[in-house]
Amino acid sequence: MNNVSRIYRNDTIQTHALRDFSLEVKSGEFVAVTGPSGSGKSTFLNVAGLLDTFDQGEYKLDGISVHGLKDDELSRLRNEKIGFIFQSYNLIPDYSIFDNVDMPLRYRGFNSAERKRRVEQALEKVGLASRAKYLPSQLSGGQQQRVAIARALAGEPKILLADEPTGNLDSLMARQVMELLHDLNQEGTTIIMVTHDADQAREVSRNIQIIDGQISDFKIYAPLQSLDKYKNEQSDESIKTPEVIDV
Amino acid sequence: MFSYNLKLAVHSFKRAPSLYFLVVLTLSIGVGLLCANLALVSSMAGDPIPEKSDQLFHVSMNTWPTDQPDVEPFHILRYRDAMKIVESELPKNSAAFYASGVYARDAQSKSLKRFDSSVRATTPGFFALTNAPFAYGTGFAKSSGMEVVIGDELNKNIFAGKNSVGKTLELDGELLTIVGVLKPWTLRPLFYHATEGRAFNLTDDIYAPLETAIDLGWSIHAKSSSTDRYKSVSSTRDLNVFYLQAWVELENKTKQQAFQSYLDNYTQILKDAGDHPLDILNELRDVNDWLLQLKLVDQKILAFTLASILFLCVCIFNASSLLLSRFHSAKFEVGLRRAIGASNKQMLMQGITESVVLGVIAGIISLLLSWLFLKLSINFLPGLADIAVLEPRLLILGVLLALVTSVSSALYPLYRANRYTISAELK
Repeated sequence: MNNVSRIYRNDTIQTHALRDFSLEVKSGEFVAVTGPSGSGKSTFLNVAGLLDTFDQGEYKLDGISVHGLKDDELSRLRNEKIGFIFQSYNLIPDYSIFDNVDMPLRYRGFNSAERKRRVEQALEKVGLASRAKYLPSQLSGGQQQRVAIARALAGEPKILLADEPTGNLDSLMARQVMELLHDLNQEGTTIIMVTHDADQAREVSRNIQIIDGQISDFKIYAPLQSLDKYKNEQSDESIKTPEVIDV
Repeated sequence: MFSYNLKLAVHSFKRAPSLYFLVVLTLSIGVGLLCANLALVSSMAGDPIPEKSDQLFHVSMNTWPTDQPDVEPFHILRYRDAMKIVESELPKNSAAFYASGVYARDAQSKSLKRFDSSVRATTPGFFALTNAPFAYGTGFAKSSGMEVVIGDELNKNIFAGKNSVGKTLELDGELLTIVGVLKPWTLRPLFYHATEGRAFNLTDDIYAPLETAIDLGWSIHAKSSSTDRYKSVSSTRDLNVFYLQAWVELENKTKQQAFQSYLDNYTQILKDAGDHPLDILNELRDVNDWLLQLKLVDQKILAFTLASILFLCVCIFNASSLLLSRFHSAKFEVGLRRAIGASNKQMLMQGITESVVLGVIAGIISLLLSWLFLKLSINFLPGLADIAVLEPRLLILGVLLALVTSVSSALYPLYRANRYTISAELK
């Protein structure tokens, strides 16, 4: 993102939810976004996830400028490149676990065999392959969030956007979900996570703090695992210019 | 994707069965009522012989022998005028006829049971002119002779529906041989005799040669007028007795104009000879024009049909508001699907699939309701019995109407649902 602004207007006031916001996220990074309520974290995540528009600036997702794209094109980008993890899981209660994870694949146009393979693979990854026929209500909160993660992973997206993924979980379940996210990051998945939890923010490779729609603080806590791996495999010259996903 | 959308529609119905039941019921009542009315209007305003309705002409003439008649030409004719029409070689087919009635029985039967039968005493051209469908045999070839053609209903009553060609009927004590049997035949309206409130009568039971019927003195069962006294139909040939209706089949404009001139010349000659004092005013009206002039469509039914259309609009608004509340409560799922990659178009298709399924269900129920409304109408107004018929094209129209109303009632809710901001829907 480069100098992105998002302004909400009503009859009397206009609110700058994002103000000249610039951020670049590299492939394989695990970025935590923190900040007080109303600071613009969710707006940033919505704009990043193409769930909301922006008024000014430039935003490139995996090298594609999203400005001016039509609804169909934005939908395809969301479907192919982004996986969402919501605080309240957002599972459809009367669909089985399988059907919930299958949902984004339906809009991708895969045949049933391919969808089945991907759903089973995603559920396997989050350790819930045996619960495919269950309904969400038959699972614990932590398990439901893992289903939501499986749904986000099924489409093999470039980036996972997580909005307080442990906000509704007790500490034990929150730990399990965080471990799962770290495992996924270790495997190369790029993750941006909005959180209020300072400890979780310290566990990731980079933490940015947003206040009043702008980045106010920027900390690197840990090396990029995937980038380390990347570095080992590439020449010295390429280490200086690693593959990036622009967000 | 269609099967997935279908699956989602079923899921949606299961989630809010009461609401969808109300939507279906609302649309079904609206469509059902309108279809029932349209069935009546369609029967009244339909084209009974579309294959050649523009080539068949009813003949009205102005040959009343005194100077006090209507300015309008008369729809019934004297025998000699009618014969002048039938004699002409200009029409491809022509027919002159009157309605009568006899009691009929199988002459060979031991049973003395007689059937009260309507008779069309006609010239032979009637069958070709009206495209009367024959099950057995043919029409009679001459206007005289002890031969008859009978309708399907009478054939069923007397001969159990079997081929009765060659059998003899006793008609008011006279023996006539059957030369043809018609298939079930419905003309709605009964264009060849749509006057005197007969437009929705059934086709006749017996078709007898005109001269034979006149010779046998079979009485006139329709409007007649005369300036001369007469005791029996058999003596009407040379009198000023108006009772015959005439139809001609003219294949093109040229023949139509030629026949008009033929009639005008004829009546002019009559006038010159002092037969009548009137202006030359002969009319040829094709089937639809003739039926339109007779104003067969009941104005009350037209008004009620208009009210039914307005009622259907109210039903659509009601269904729309019900669906709006349903879609509003499903905002979260819409937002979620949009977030994970469904486009507006895909969500629209999902909504339309749902409304099409609703429309099909509403269509089927509305047809049942239409049938029920018509049955009730007949109970209260027995005169509608021959008109209140749901024809196949109306069944199709009913289902299409239900589909259109269902989709149109979902359009605004769908439009609204697709206007929500995704991030707001997910909160």
